[in-house]
Parts: sequence; structure tokens; C-alpha cells
Amino acid sequence: MSPLVSVKTETNTYLSKLLKQFASDSQSKNLKELRDRAKSLVESSRLPDKKDEEWQFTDLSELLEQDFQLAPVAEVSTQILEEYALLETRESRIVFVNGYYSPELSNISAIDATVYVGNLKGLDEARQAKIVNHLADEVGNEKLFAALNTSGLEDAAVIWAKANAIATIPIQILHLSAPEESTKFSQPRTIIVAEKSSNLQIVEKYGVAGDEYGKVPYLTNTVTQIWLEENARVNHTRVQKEALSCFHIAKTAVFQERDSHYTGNEISIGSKLYRHNIEVTQKGEQTETNLNGLVTISDKQLADTHSLVSLNLPHGTVNQLHKCIVSDRARAVFNGKILVPQKAQLTNATQLNRNLLLSPKARVNTKPELQITADDVKCAHGATISQLEEDEIFYLRSRGLKETDAKFLLIDAFAAEIIDRISIESLRKRLTQCVACKTVN
Amino acid sequence: MSSTTVKNLVNQPYKYGFVTDIETDTIPRGLNEDIIRLISAKKNEPEFMLEFRLKAYKQWQKMTEPKWPHVEYPPIDYQDIIYYSAPKQSKEKLNSLDEVDPAILETFEKLGIPLSEQKRLANVNVAVDAIFDSVSIGTTFKEKLGEAGVIFCSISEALQEHPELVKKYLGTVVPVGDNYFAALNSAVFSDGSFVFIPKGVECPMELSTYFRINNGDTGQFERTLIIAEEGAKVSYLEGCTAPMYDSNQLHAAVVELIALDNADIKYSTVQNWYAGDENGKGGIYNFVTKRGLCQGVNSKISWTQVETGSAITWKYPSCVLIGDNSVGEFYSIALTNNKQQADTGTKMIHIGKNTRSTIISKGISAGKSKNSYRGLVKMGPKADGARNYSQCDSMLIGDTAEANTFPYIQADNDRAKVEHEASTSKIGEDQLFYFAQRGISEEDAVSMLVSGFCKDVLNELPMEFAAEADKLLSLKLEGSVG
Amino acid sequence: MSEVILSVKDLRASIDGKEILKGLNLEIKAGEVHAIMGRNGSGKSTFSKVLAGHPAYEVTGGDILYKGESILEKEPDERANEGIFLAFQYPIEIPGVSNLDFLRVAYNAKRKYHGEEEIDTFDFEDLVEEKLDVVKMNPSFLERSLNQGFSGGEKKRNEILQMALLEPSLSILDETDSGLDIDALRIVAEGVNQLATPENSSIVITHYQRLLNYIEPHFVHVMYDGQIVKTGTKELALELEERGYEFIDELVEVGA
Repeated sequence: MSPLVSVKTETNTYLSKLLKQFASDSQSKNLKELRDRAKSLVESSRLPDKKDEEWQFTDLSELLEQDFQLAPVAEVSTQILEEYALLETRESRIVFVNGYYSPELSNISAIDATVYVGNLKGLDEARQAKIVNHLADEVGNEKLFAALNTSGLEDAAVIWAKANAIATIPIQILHLSAPEESTKFSQPRTIIVAEKSSNLQIVEKYGVAGDEYGKVPYLTNTVTQIWLEENARVNHTRVQKEALSCFHIAKTAVFQERDSHYTGNEISIGSKLYRHNIEVTQKGEQTETNLNGLVTISDKQLADTHSLVSLNLPHGTVNQLHKCIVSDRARAVFNGKILVPQKAQLTNATQLNRNLLLSPKARVNTKPELQITADDVKCAHGATISQLEEDEIFYLRSRGLKETDAKFLLIDAFAAEIIDRISIESLRKRLTQCVACKTVN
Repeated sequence: MSSTTVKNLVNQPYKYGFVTDIETDTIPRGLNEDIIRLISAKKNEPEFMLEFRLKAYKQWQKMTEPKWPHVEYPPIDYQDIIYYSAPKQSKEKLNSLDEVDPAILETFEKLGIPLSEQKRLANVNVAVDAIFDSVSIGTTFKEKLGEAGVIFCSISEALQEHPELVKKYLGTVVPVGDNYFAALNSAVFSDGSFVFIPKGVECPMELSTYFRINNGDTGQFERTLIIAEEGAKVSYLEGCTAPMYDSNQLHAAVVELIALDNADIKYSTVQNWYAGDENGKGGIYNFVTKRGLCQGVNSKISWTQVETGSAITWKYPSCVLIGDNSVGEFYSIALTNNKQQADTGTKMIHIGKNTRSTIISKGISAGKSKNSYRGLVKMGPKADGARNYSQCDSMLIGDTAEANTFPYIQADNDRAKVEHEASTSKIGEDQLFYFAQRGISEEDAVSMLVSGFCKDVLNELPMEFAAEADKLLSLKLEGSVG
Repeated sequence: MSEVILSVKDLRASIDGKEILKGLNLEIKAGEVHAIMGRNGSGKSTFSKVLAGHPAYEVTGGDILYKGESILEKEPDERANEGIFLAFQYPIEIPGVSNLDFLRVAYNAKRKYHGEEEIDTFDFEDLVEEKLDVVKMNPSFLERSLNQGFSGGEKKRNEILQMALLEPSLSILDETDSGLDIDALRIVAEGVNQLATPENSSIVITHYQRLLNYIEPHFVHVMYDGQIVKTGTKELALELEERGYEFIDELVEVGA
């Protein structure tokens, strides 16, 4: 947890400067209260530094050097959209630019009445009221950046499936950043509710509407909250492919009631600094959580995934596989906690972190952590760090492959274990290409 | 609780608890330099052996008993133990097994280990060295093994016939001062087996040693040394039993294995020493040091153990993987019942490149027993590409047993891979109810659950013994459920 | 008139001294499918375990007649062998015991109980492979350890496979649908429907109305605080779904 000590420091001033930019005339009373509470939390906090255990390997000091201004509403051409839109979600996608809803770019014509896909402002009053109270409270442990997001909250992407709704097509939420000449920040927010026995397939994608190699730094501070009611199923793929000048700080908080299944596929390719806190809370029996992660970084990128799954009741399942492909001078950080308290008997938990280092300067810091106090459980964990095997490359080359092709074949096989778990074909293809251009020069 | 709870599954009466009544040649109680000289003299040992013993004794005197194992027992009075006891023989040297005291032959027959080669015909693939208290009674199939160039005899005999081999290898894997009990063993060991498989030879049959403690006041300190030269291959199995006494007997053995380039040693143990009664009275203290050196490239040492007996077991068969690409394996079943205590596991020390090790440990604890797995995986700075996979599963039967897992990992090399899996399961009401609901009786259910749980390890035992070990496990747990 | 398979009279049962079933009455005839619904803690699962004879529950009053005979004194394996089958909410995982071996032992236990000869491995394999089709399972399932590493849906399908093999007169499905995706739910439900005959009967315990779109019950019972408080047809389930379990609270209050 980030420290909440009230001290006047440089970072404190820094946060205040960010806070001042949020308009104070928010719409609903509920939302205003929410923002005010979040604001006071931010005001009494400081930015974490390397002395904080949870931020040991992820240095935010570069963030302090930038003077971020709240990003304005921006226009994005439909051409750019072509780059990001998926074949399967042509008629089931919503688009946000710099955190603002863009109805023009969105298309939800294939969505039926059992699922709401749109923005928070467009949601009916009853459901708005129902959700607003939870927005601030249920963000999990790592609170500071989530609170910063809430402090400026005006709108959000919302997907809401009614009981027994079975969405047969995937739904895409596209959050685009439109960087400008000066340093900007935006704060996208996403809310997903799957009512009893409903079924959703969601792609949440972060991208840049501009030059991928853009030089102007920008900050995306994003929060996604997902509620699964009894027996609901959500398959959620989160793709981060921001420009290499981006600081991407993200929180995904998932709450699961009994008999529900959540699968989260985290794909991270872009950003100079990426920090993702995934926090899953199992709140009922026989709840299943699957977390898959693939991080592909190069240059001087840093990608940090902190996950925390709390099991609280019997017959829970957690499967986690996090893979990192690290080249050049990049650094990957993984910290995965699974808590299995006494009450969570008959838990089945596996956690594995595999890392592939493609250069001698690439680095990995990994800490898979299982904390078990129950006595009738099956738990496994492990971490591996490896390089491409000389012998394997040689074998492939002796069969006529060029060195780069041989290498890519092996890298592709490493990545495929995660990519193959994504059910959307066009996305799978695209990601395979991404891994290729990212790793083989 | 419920009307029919899973009661502590009770021991079947210990079948091997009888005493053989024979005349013995026993030396006085206690331990000092004179006793060591006496043992060495009785065995007519070469001078270097006496020096080895005395050096060990000096080190032992400076050491203290280890306290870190997760076991409890009253202090041992090392001056109250008899360090040498042997059946009286009419002749200095026996020419063949036929000259052995018939009472002893009968003992081994009763234990299911007939020593006469004729009787062993039913099981011609196994050669046996039988050890009774402090001495080896005889070794079967010596000639047949001799034809292949294999030396299989008692270590006493090896000291007479092949002193240069013993001198070259003894104490090279487990140095005399390695630990408290190893030092004690090095000072007073009386007998044990010696195996030498020369270059390029695949041992034509399974080798096995059967250890029997008979005397109630004797400690058994056996020493086993197995050497597999370049490209040699051997599979060795040891079995152990003892009579039921109210007192505890100390068994402190040392086993050293050496595998040179491309050699392969498989060492299996079925340990069924007397475990004491249900109140924890009597039983063997089994404090054993077993270590294998994968000295050569591509060499392999595999430990398989089924530990069902002893009041206390303290044992960590280990592999030191020096040769590049060498392989270490440890497959273990440790079953504890009543008031038994076991602290057992392994050490895999990766030194060479691309060395690999596998650890599969299955602990079953019933009654009021304590069963701990303790294992170390060490990846040395030069062990590039080394890999370890460990799997530690515990099964609790009933609510009063204890199971612990203490895995230690030391990785000084970031190009090494270490994976660890652990599970804890229970045979409790719900498991048995599931079987009952499918019409299966509780006894059948327990036996299926235990065999299934142990399957990965039982599969590693030599075929001749796997079925027997499986039977032994069910026997140990058989009894009243509900 | 068809035979009465199960007759439960004023059944009371407790666990650890706490009364869970408080006078439950139910009669099931051959050929009938009964659904029992109710919120968490209403006693649905307890009822299924008491019927099968779970040792942790103590019957403190009333009686259970199965084919006209009281089974209260019978051991769980006897009840199983006489044709009472419980599909578990949480089937247990057994490492090292292959699914095939387990099925064979269970199948032979029943044959032995009825004085029939045990069936050998080869004949048994043929028999099982026939049944696999009921739950659309791949033969490779048989080689895997019992329920180990099975997904939720696979475990539940395996329960139905066992049911297909053991051909019970009374099947109790304890929340078999919980946590299943829609495809697995369909397979399980179709399996159950295929196995229904005019001679056997089943109790389908569920938390979710959705299952009843696939398995059509003759009767729907609502459990509340250890009793069946309302009995109706499929429409009752729909009403429950629509109005939530608060609807039962109202019902009970009106009744009181």
C-alpha cells in the first residue's frame, strides 16, 4: 500500500498541481462527493519512491521532471481507427480519446438490449446510482493513482450485462491518447458489470493516435473495475500499446461472487514506463480466476506487473501464467501474490512466471509469492529465466533458416502460449506480428 | 464431530518383530579409542582404516548433535551403546553360506530373504548381501557377478581383498567430519556393502543388501560404498527390519555413491525398521547420511526411498552434481503413523553446467505422527542452464497428524531454472464419502487413495520391489476406519 | 400409478448440533424430475447429503423411505449400491487414480453387491466408451487422474458419466450447474435428459433458474430455512428469478 503520510514534500506539491487541473463543477452530487473524498486522499499522499517495497524496481522520478497538463478533447480521424479496430468488433466497439467518449468513432449496432455498452453519462439513473458508490471504495489496495483518477472522474466507459445475457460477439473498448506538442495526461476509466449468469468477452485496448515513436512524454493513469455477480463469466483481454514516450499507470480491480469465472489476458507492448496493478478479490465459493500475461519490451522500457489475488472461501481456483520477453536494456518486473487464508480450503492455485532475456543487458526482477495458511490445498509456483538456446538456433539454421527467422520462431513459440489463450482471431494475428517486430530487428 | 469419524488408521502388527536367539560375540558398552582399536582389530583392518576411524572419532568428540530437525527425542547416551555385536562363528572365515548358523539363515528366510542361491532361483535377478547386527552374513551370486567384473561384497571383505579401492574412495563423498552422525559412523562402522562396477559394465542383476538389527543394545553403523566407473550402470536396493524392543536402537549409517563419466547409479531403499508402539515406546532412531557424487559428465544418480519404519527418521539422500549435464533424482515416500517422526528430504547441489535434478516427495502422516520434508536446491555460480523441478505433496490422514514442508532454494546463477510445486491433501470424511457414494468401501478407498498418491514414486522402484512396497504401505495404514 | 421411489417424511437433521433440516416432506414417483431451489443456507445441499448418508449429519427426526424401505440405518455405500446417486457440487480430485480405474471399481462394487460377477477390464472399457457419448467426453479423459486438473465443466460432466454408468433409480444433482458456461451446461443437461426413463427419477438442486430451461422439471420446490415452503411448476422458478428470493420472504411471512 502506498504510504498516506501527510507531509509537505516536493511530490506532494506535484500531486496538488495535478489535482488543481480538474474542473470543480461536476454533474451529480454523488460523483462530487466521490471526487472530493478521492482528492483529500491524494492531497495527504506523496508519490511512492524506490524505498517503498512495492515500487522498489519502478522509479517514478522521471515522472516528477514532467509538468503534465490535463489532456483536452481531441479529434481523431477514422483512419487511425483502422489501425486499432478489430474485425470482430466493427459493430461492437466504443472509443474514448484522451478519456473523453467519442460517439462518432463508436459503433454498437450489433449489441442487443441485454448489454449496455456506452459511457457512464449515458447510463440510466438507477444503474448510475448503483455503481457510483462502489467506484471509490472498491479499487483495491494500491490506492494513490486510482484516487488521482477518481479525483478527476467525469465519465467512464461502461459495459453492463444483465442477468443471463450471453454476449456472443466480443466488445472492444478503445482508449486512445492523442499526444500534442506539450506534455499531457489523461485518465481513462472503465466499468464492467456482469450480472448473474451473464457472459462477456471484452477487449480493452490502449493505443496512441499519433507517432508510436513520438518524443513528447505523456501520462495515462487508468482504472478499470470489473464486477462479476454469481455464476457470471468475463473474458477480458487488456492490450497496452501506447507510444514509447508514455507513462502508463494502470489498475484493474476485479470482484468475483460465487461460481463466477474471470479470465484476464494482459498484453503489454508499449510505453516507456508501465505499471499495472491487478487486484482480484474472490468473494464466493467455487470462484475461478485465470490471469495470463505477456510483456514484450525492448529499448529502455520498463514493464511492471503487480498482481494480488485474494481467495477467501473454499473451492477457489487461480491459474496465473505471466511471461516476459525482454530485449536491449529493458527491464521487466513481476510481483504476484496469491493469498490463501485458512478459510480458503480446497483451493487450487498455480502461479508461474517465465522470462526470456534476449540481450545481456536485459533485466528481470521476479517475485512469485504464495501465502498459504489453509491446510487442504493444491498450490504450485515457479519462476524461470532463460535465454534463447544456442543449440536450438543452430539446429534451425542447419535446416536452412536465417538466424533472425530461427530466433523469431523460438520467440514466437514462447509468446504463443499466452496469445493462443485469446479467443479473438484477428487480435491473435496482430499480437503475433507485434511480438515479431518488437523482438527481431 | 460426526458419528463415524476417520479414526487414526492403526498399524498392522509389526511382522518382523521377532528376536533370533543365538550366541554372539559382543564387545563392552561405550565408546573410546580402545573400543575403536578393538573393532578395527576384530576386523583385521589395514592401518589406514584405523587412522580413518581415529580421525573421525577425534572430530566427533568436538561436535554436537544437530538440533535443527523437526523431531524430538530424549538425549542419547552414547556410552550406553554396544558398538559391535556379531553372531559367534565356529571358524575364523566362512567358506560359503552353508556354514552360516542355521538360526540366522532361518531368520532371513522368515524375513522373506532366502540366502541360499537355490532358493533364490525364483528371483534370479537379485543378488543379496545380508547384514546381521554388525556383520555381513554372506553375499549371494558372487561368482556370477565376478564374471562380469562386478565386485559385490561386504565392506569388511573389500578391506581385505580390495583395500586400494576402499582407500581411494571411502570418505571422499561424506568426509569423516561431515556431520555428527557421519563422524560417529566413520569412527565405529562395523560392516556394510561394497559395490564396484568397472568401466563400461552394466551390472547383470539387481544388487541388494538386507539389514537386520537383532541385539537390543546394539547400534548399527553400516557403511556402504558404491562406485560406478565410466559408463557403468547399477541398480541397488536396501531393506531393513528389526525386532520389537521397548528401548530405542541407534542406526547411523553412511552411504557414499560415486558416478564417473556417463555412469548411472540407482539406489532404492525400503526402510521398515521397528517404529515403536502406538505410544511411541521403542523403535529405531534412523539417523542416516546418504550422498552421491555425480563426478563425471552425463552421470546420473537416482535415489528412491520408501520410508515406513523407525521411530525417528533423519535422512537427506543428496546429489552433488559436478559433471556437466549430470542428473540427480530423488523420489521419496515417507509414511508416518502413531508417534513416528520423520524429517527427510534431499539436497541437490548443482555445480556443473546444464545439470538437472528432479525431486518428488510424498509424505503421508497418520495418527499423531510428524512428517517433514526438508530439501535444499542450490544453483552454483557456474551452473549455467541448470534446472530443478521439485514437487512436494503431503497427505494427512485424520486430524491429529502433522505435515511440514521446508524447501530451501539458493540460486547464485540467474541462468538456472527452479520450479516448485506443493500440495497438501487430506483423507478425511469428505473424500471417503465420495468413494462410499460410488459404492466403494472405506478400506478400498484408503488403499486407492494412498497408492494413487504414491504412484509417481512407486513407479521408480525396481519392478521386483514396487508391488511389495505398495503392499507395505497399505499394510501400514490398514485397520479401522470409522 | 407409478411406483413411489422416495418418500421423505418430516425429516429433521443437524450438523455439529445445529439443526438444518426442520421437518422436510417430499414424495417422488418413478419418471419424475423434481427441482429444488432456494438461497444459500436454506438447506438444499444438506438435504442431498443426508439422502446419501453423509456421516457428518445426524438425522434427529422423521424418516426417509426409498422404494418403501427406510434407509436411515444404511451406510452410504449401501445406499449407493441400492441405486441412490449423488452428483456432487464439488467432486473431489484424486491424484494417481485413473478415471477408468475408479469407474471400474465403482461399477464392480455395485455388481458385487447385487451378487453379479465382476466385469473385466476389456469389457468394461467397451461399456464406458459407449457411455462417454452421453456427456460428449473424449476417451482421453479416462486415462487422466480422477478429476485432477479437470475444469469445472469437465468435473461435472464426469459426474454425469458416472451416473450414466451406475444407472441409479434416484439421482440427486447438487448444484451441478453452478459455475458452468453455457455450452457445458447444455451438455450436462442433455446428458441428464438422455438418462431419464419412466423407471427412474431425479432431484435437481439448483441456485440458478437457467438450468431449468434445459432440464424440464415436473415440480419445482422452494426451500426456506430447512423446509419446503412452496411447490409449483416451472413457472414458479421463473417467478423466483424475476422477483428474487425476497419473494420467498414475503411468501413465508404471508403464510405465518
